[in-house]
Formats: sequence, structure tokens, C-alpha cells
Amino acid sequence: MSARFIFGFIISCLLTNIVWSAEQTKMHDTSNMWQKSLAGKQISSSAVFDERGTLWLAQVQEGHVMVSQSTDQGKTFSTAVKVNLQAEAVSASGETRPKILISKNGNVYISYTQSLDTPYAGNIRFSRSVDGGKSFSAPITVNDNLDPITHRFEAMGINARGQIYLAWLDKRDAVAAKNKDEKYHGIALYSAMSDDEGISFHANTKVADHTCECCRVAMAIDKTDTPVIVWRHIFGKNVRDHGLARLDGTTRKRDVDAVQRVTFENWEVEACPHHGPSLSISGDVYHMAWFNHGAERTGLFYAHSANGGKTFSAPINVGNSQRQAGHAAVLSQGKNIYLAWKEFDGEVTTIKSMYSHDGGVAWGAVQSVAETRDVSDHPMLIANKEQVYLSWNSQQEGYRLIALPYKQIAQQGGKQ
Amino acid sequence: MKWIFVIALAMGMYIAQAAQYTQPLKRGSFKEIVEAHAGKPFIVALWSVSCTHCSTDLEIFERLGKKYAGFTLVLIATDSPEQETEIRSTLNKYHLGQTEAKRQGKVESWVFADSYTERLRFEIDKQWYGELPRTYFYDANGKPTAISGVLDEEKTERWVNAKP
Repeated sequence: MSARFIFGFIISCLLTNIVWSAEQTKMHDTSNMWQKSLAGKQISSSAVFDERGTLWLAQVQEGHVMVSQSTDQGKTFSTAVKVNLQAEAVSASGETRPKILISKNGNVYISYTQSLDTPYAGNIRFSRSVDGGKSFSAPITVNDNLDPITHRFEAMGINARGQIYLAWLDKRDAVAAKNKDEKYHGIALYSAMSDDEGISFHANTKVADHTCECCRVAMAIDKTDTPVIVWRHIFGKNVRDHGLARLDGTTRKRDVDAVQRVTFENWEVEACPHHGPSLSISGDVYHMAWFNHGAERTGLFYAHSANGGKTFSAPINVGNSQRQAGHAAVLSQGKNIYLAWKEFDGEVTTIKSMYSHDGGVAWGAVQSVAETRDVSDHPMLIANKEQVYLSWNSQQEGYRLIALPYKQIAQQGGKQ
Repeated sequence: MKWIFVIALAMGMYIAQAAQYTQPLKRGSFKEIVEAHAGKPFIVALWSVSCTHCSTDLEIFERLGKKYAGFTLVLIATDSPEQETEIRSTLNKYHLGQTEAKRQGKVESWVFADSYTERLRFEIDKQWYGELPRTYFYDANGKPTAISGVLDEEKTERWVNAKP
């Protein structure tokens, strides 16, 4: 071995190490990695129709929530408007997405989770447009605890009185317990309400202790204009079933008994299922879809309750459990109930749907609505008067709005 | 003398660095992993750097890996290859990096390397819906037993001991 060769080898090894070390130093800050992990696949979107039938779409691009409109059922869209002018790590994958709602007077309301440098940490952000979506207010942070901890997975709702509600998963009590060396299962659920059209929010209110950490929260408004929320809760030691609460302003006991349990699959697991429920309300009836992997039952389920969630109909199994049926959306209009969910056969992801015209008792055949062969968002259902659509974003095809192939059977009353 | 020391140091660092590479899990990779371990019991642990409960399992694996030569662990992170630095630093924290001197058991590290994660999940297990941690105990006949959620350390140790 010549001296020259050895020298060259040493130099090359050292150089590799230097480059490697530099890279290590550069990348050492795990927060950067956390941000990077969020940057890759921000395809989770939300859409809604306003009263005039215009479709409003909220998507995330390079750290901005972007809002565009379509007056031709999603064929063409207006130039997207930036909500947050300053780029943020907007969370938009899997269970988390920007939300968009339009009030009766045409205000546009946006909520989203801003991810922070610390893993799992976030803030619940809110912005509004009072000029028909031409411009948006500087986003405000709604959570009044500003520690760099979890405030994520927000759900947003608006009632006929124009009150805006947000509910989200919040770690402040878990952190407080840890600081006192106390045990605390999961995290907590908080909510806040605005009655000045989104200029400000009232103080945060705790809804429940001991929720699961990373499943989306579902919200729907009942006929008394009260928001109802459903989320994955931790019952007992570690049973991750679903809890329900009406945000009616009453003070709750801060224990597990205060939470109304609405599913009973008994999934005892210390894990993050990343699989939250869906809720829709028509008249007196709550319609719910959820996923569970419990000892009692396993799979994707639908059930309804005519007594405010005290009791539910026997859960029916939805979709093909051999094809990963999951992430269901439910939408109700009077007795017309729609379900959409995701299935995967090893190559193709398909959005399936089914329809009930009698309030969720009898269901028609399962239909395939759309498919893709790459990564895709969870399916959402939205309605423009009587026509119900699948609202779905996928990497390959982009955003799609697809009319569900069901003709509503005319009904008397009952519609919300 | 000095030169030899430098060479040794450089080579040592070079090897350590090369061996810590997390391998990309692509289409078909999982089948190859299972085939490569055929005939001997091993554990497949699915985890993520953003998973709240996974660190408890990593601690269990750290202890078992130190104790048992027969402990074979295939770690699969459901993150992306771009997160290699974070994956590596997490594994090093629990002494599950690939060059851990105190360890008797064998550990390999993989990471999801296909944006179509549904397909990778399906290849691993049609009945796995993505919840983490998710662990498979493969016996010597290649038959897996799946567990979702944090493991019971005692049961896991008993399984490793029994060499099923």
C-alpha cells in the first residue's frame, strides 16, 4: 500500500466524516425534522357549499391555507387567496385539515392547526373574511394556554345564530399533572365560542379529561343550535371508545363519569389509532360513523340515536374489513343518510358509498364513487341543497367533487 | 504511530456511519424481510418518531436486546426516508442503533419509502389500520401474532425466552 494511497484514503474518510458531521449538525435540531415531516404530504382539504351554491375549498400550499371558489361544481376554481400571509407549519395530513365554513351573511371562517417546533405541539388558529373571501384577517390563536404542547385536531361548527364553536384536543392538564408527578391518562378536550362573528373567542372551556391523543374530533349542530361533539375517549384504564358531549354551557364534573359513552367495542389499547369519528344531526337524530378494533366488535360502524346519544341503534358494520374499510364520513338530511369511506385492495384506493332513505335503518347497495393509486385524503361528504357530493383530494388526481348517485326520496318535513 | 491512530479512527467512524443506515421499505421489501428471517423467531415493531406511545416499547426492546443473544428485532418506522436523522437519533437514544456494543441481540432498522403508505401497510398486514405501536411476533414457522399498543414487558420477555 503506497503512502499516497493511505493518505488519500484517510482524507476521503475524514472528508466523508466532515460532510456527515456537518449534516448531523445541520439536521440535529429535531424540530426541523418535525416540520419537514409535515411538509411532505399536505393533501388534506375541506370544502363547503354556501347558500347560493358556490363551492368553497380550503387547501394548504407551502405553509399557507389557500381558499378558492367554484360556481360550476368544482370544474373550475377562482384564483386561490392566502389566508395566513406569513407561512406557518399548517397541519394538513391524515386526521388534520384546515376547516372552512360560510355563515348566513357570507362571512368565511377558517380554522386550522399550526404545528410548532416541539413534536405534537400546536396552536388552534382562526381567521375570517368579511369581504366574500377577497381577503382574510390575520390569524388569531384560540387556545388560551400558549405552552408549546398539544392543541390540535380542532373541529369547527357554526349555528343558525352565527355563533362559531371550536373544540380541540389539549395537553395542558396532562402536563400540569406530570409536573405534580400525578398520573393522567391521555389528554383533554377544550372548546371556545365566538359570538362576535369571529373577531374574538370567549375563554377556553374544558369539556372532558382523558381523551385519546391523535384522532380527529367530530362536531355537528343540533336543532337547538347547540354543538354536539364526538371524540375518541379513554375509558377506565385504557379502553379507547367514543364519548359525546353537548356544548350547552353547563359545567361538567371533571371526571370520567361526566363523559357520555356512546360506543362499546372495548378497544383496550395504549396506541394512537389516528382514526376519529364522524357525526351528523338531522332533527332529533344523531348519526354517527366510527372505527374500532375492540374485543366486542371490530371494523367500521354506523349507528343512530333518537334520544340525544343516550342509546344508539345496534351498530352496523360498514365496508369490507378485508380491504381496510376506514375513515368514514356520514351526512344526514332528514331521513336521507349518506355514508362514504375508504377501501384499499392492495393496489387501488376506492371511495365507497351507500345510502339510506329511511333514517339509517335500511341501506342500499354499496357503490364505488372514485379511486386512486397513490396517497389520498380521507373522504368528506358535503351537500348543495339536496345533492350530496364526495369531496376528496388525492395526490395523482388532485381535488375532486363527485355527485353521489342517489336521488332523494321526497319527504315531508324532518329536514334540517 | 499517530498516523495509524488516525487511520483507525477514520475507519472506525466510517464503518459506524455506514452500518447505521436505515433501509428503505419499498414494495416487496416486507416479504423479503420475513424470508430473510425464516426458521427463527423474530419481532417486527412498527413505530414512528411522532408516535406518543412507541418510546415505551423502544425501552423494552433496549433491555431485551442487552439481555438476549437470540433477540432479533426488525424496526420499521412509518415515517419517511427524509426523517432518517430523527429516526437514527431516536434509536441511538434507546441504544437500538446498529453498532451498540452492549447489545447481544440483533436489530435492523427500516423506514417507509413509498408515499402510498396504504400499500406498504397492506403488504405487512391487511388487518393493520395504521395504529401505533404495532408489533408482530413471528415464530420459527413464520406465523405472526399481532399486538396493537404498548407491549407487556414480562410477556414479551417470556416470548423471547421461549424461542417459539
